[in-house]
Amino acid sequence: MIEVERLTKRYGATLAVDDLSFTVAPGTVTGFLGPNGAGKSTTMRAILGLVHPSAGTTAVLGMPYRELERPLQRVGALLETFDAHPGRSGRSHLRVLAVAGGIPRSRVEEVLALVDMAGAGRRRVKGYSLGMRQRLGLAAALLGDPEVLVLDEPANGLDPQGIRWLRDFLRSLASDGRAILISSHVLAEVAQTVDDVVIIHRGKLVRHVAMGDVEDMAAGATTVRSPDAARLASLLAELSLGVREIGDGRLSVAAPPERIGALAAANGVVLHELSVERATLEEVFLELTGEPGERGA
Amino acid sequence: MTRLFAAEILKLRTLRSTWGFAFVAMLLATLVTAGNIGGTPARDRLDPDLQFRIVLDAAFPASILALLVGMILVTNEFRHGTIARTLLAVPRRARFVGIKLLTGAAAGAMLMLITLTVIAATSVIWLGLLDVPLALDRAGDGAGRAVTGVVIAGILGAAVGGAVHSQVGALVGALVWIFVAEPVCWVILGLLNLDGVSEYLPAASLGGIMDSGGGGLPFAGSVGVALAWAALAAVLALVRTGRRDIT
Repeated sequence: MIEVERLTKRYGATLAVDDLSFTVAPGTVTGFLGPNGAGKSTTMRAILGLVHPSAGTTAVLGMPYRELERPLQRVGALLETFDAHPGRSGRSHLRVLAVAGGIPRSRVEEVLALVDMAGAGRRRVKGYSLGMRQRLGLAAALLGDPEVLVLDEPANGLDPQGIRWLRDFLRSLASDGRAILISSHVLAEVAQTVDDVVIIHRGKLVRHVAMGDVEDMAAGATTVRSPDAARLASLLAELSLGVREIGDGRLSVAAPPERIGALAAANGVVLHELSVERATLEEVFLELTGEPGERGA
Repeated sequence: MTRLFAAEILKLRTLRSTWGFAFVAMLLATLVTAGNIGGTPARDRLDPDLQFRIVLDAAFPASILALLVGMILVTNEFRHGTIARTLLAVPRRARFVGIKLLTGAAAGAMLMLITLTVIAATSVIWLGLLDVPLALDRAGDGAGRAVTGVVIAGILGAAVGGAVHSQVGALVGALVWIFVAEPVCWVILGLLNLDGVSEYLPAASLGGIMDSGGGGLPFAGSVGVALAWAALAAVLALVRTGRRDIT
């Protein structure tokens, strides 16, 4: 369980996080979304006790992170900035963390194998690619087999297979009852992984909804094409449904396709096309965050 | 606390720079020991105080190295961004600073162990070839002072690193202080007829612990003053590290 309660963080005159509250329940994967600079990383660092809140509180498993005993065994974290010494090998980096966290050394080999890094464990970190660094960070987060995971942009640098692996892995962890918070600035990247989304913009909460609700928001008007478009338009207008001509005998109608199809059939109007105008998840995201975006682009 | 300290020692052991410092300490100890024995007239070699001086003079460079290692073991965390991962394991900042001070002390002690081994090997062989009997009591006295000095240097280094955070700032600042600023202070204090005050400055007090000449503060006084400077730096480290946001 992660709790953020009226969190505010100021850096001088800059307000990074503004009165933000949300919770992440056990057994769920929550996407933490917002454009770059929205305050996601600051919030995650506040949750992990790395940043001092200007106001408000954060708690993990019912207490501030700093009060956790053996925190590496309770909470796994992946931060956006790489946090291994470049002169140390990946295996050595994990061994240091294992010793610090009171975690058996054998677990190092397990997590290296888990993130497909067993062969690269002996290499110095400074020679790692971005994807390898990300995998090492994930290995560090998973080292203590924690109950809570806080992952800042975990898909960064991963190839498509890696992203698919991460998605399936996070789902399996959540099904074990773990609470997982993952940040991203790309909604589509986490759409298949998360149960809930917390969307923030300029440090403020925009929406905390179930992922299914976001998908519903993506469903828009219906496009209908008919050789008798003018008659269909008048029939629809009689029912006070919003109708807009969009050319080539097409109409954009503010109604579900089932209703339009039934109306056309009842009045003998031939239809050549009946389709839902579905916004992409990114368009919904941009709309929610108020960022400029071209619908349908 | 034990596992966190063990992790810090593992960090030190698995970095090449640590072994580089150890190599430099061994090299300097060999050179200074050889220079001290070779540069001493034959008639003076039987003076038991020679062996006291050999140990302290050869061990002194190790105290400077221990100071630098102490600084690096903290500032490396900020330089390479590993501080975030370290604080995830040790979220209480005061405990983090405490462990770093302890590690600084241990690093200094390990550096001195290596140094003393080299000094002993070089001295025993060379003095044996010259038929000079070993004065173990005086050499042991020197070794005790050397270990004390280098342990405090390691603690002071870690504390300064925790207070400054910038690796370049800490290292350059410390070297400039030791070799430029404090000697200038000594001159100024001398001109003001306040020579005695200069013995209380950080580098002078640290040097006083390992001083083979007998001038300045007594051994215990030098230890006390050096510890006071280390304590002051440790308080600054606690305040600075405790307040810092890791972004």
